[in-house]
Amino acid sequence: MLALTRKIGEKIIINDNISITIVDIKGDNIRLGIEAPRDIKIYRGELYDSIVSENRQSASPVDFAKLDLLKEIKKK
Amino acid sequence: MQIKSARFGTLDIDESQIICFQNGLPGFNGKKTFAFIAYGENSPFAFLQDVEEPNLTFVVAEPFSFFQDYSFKLEDEVVAELGLSDDNPPGIFNIVRIPEKTGEMTANLLAPIVINWQTRNAMQLILEKSPYTVRHQIFPQGISEQKTKGGK
Repeated sequence: MLALTRKIGEKIIINDNISITIVDIKGDNIRLGIEAPRDIKIYRGELYDSIVSENRQSASPVDFAKLDLLKEIKKK
Repeated sequence: MQIKSARFGTLDIDESQIICFQNGLPGFNGKKTFAFIAYGENSPFAFLQDVEEPNLTFVVAEPFSFFQDYSFKLEDEVVAELGLSDDNPPGIFNIVRIPEKTGEMTANLLAPIVINWQTRNAMQLILEKSPYTVRHQIFPQGISEQKTKGGK
């Protein structure tokens, strides 16, 4: 992993079209300003990880016999 | 086309049932192409079967049958990326997780799947600043009571 030291107001540039500015630092909290094209998806890491984890658990093998219960359920 | 599923055996799938996640699904980045298999006529449930990996099947549910107030904003970028319009409303589904007890199954309302049925492009969104979580009980009163209610 590349580790860079930055001060408030300084930036890093990624791939010519993404810039990340250190906006503020208060104690443990660092506020970042991110400028990127609109089609670049930006998520908080823990939020993204929670979706990865839930998707993986949902894909684990399902005993489809258990789904017979759902047969009679209709759209409302 | 024919695809193989560990759950369903060999399936003959019409092209109109094939959907493509251009950006992949979080946690399954190489997996982009799935067959959408309805569970039955008028069922809110369906399956997403990976066309190349027989062992990869998701259960999904149309949320509004269970969560009448479910809503989120479709951001302009999503509408543009998927090519949605007022004349072409999206299909909305949520991935279902089925634990040991089927009745305790949950839906991931924080990360809905949005499908453009005309182009058959799909995305799994991750909602920001949302009141929803990855686990909402589909049958909070138990699955059998839900059935009885539906039968009346």
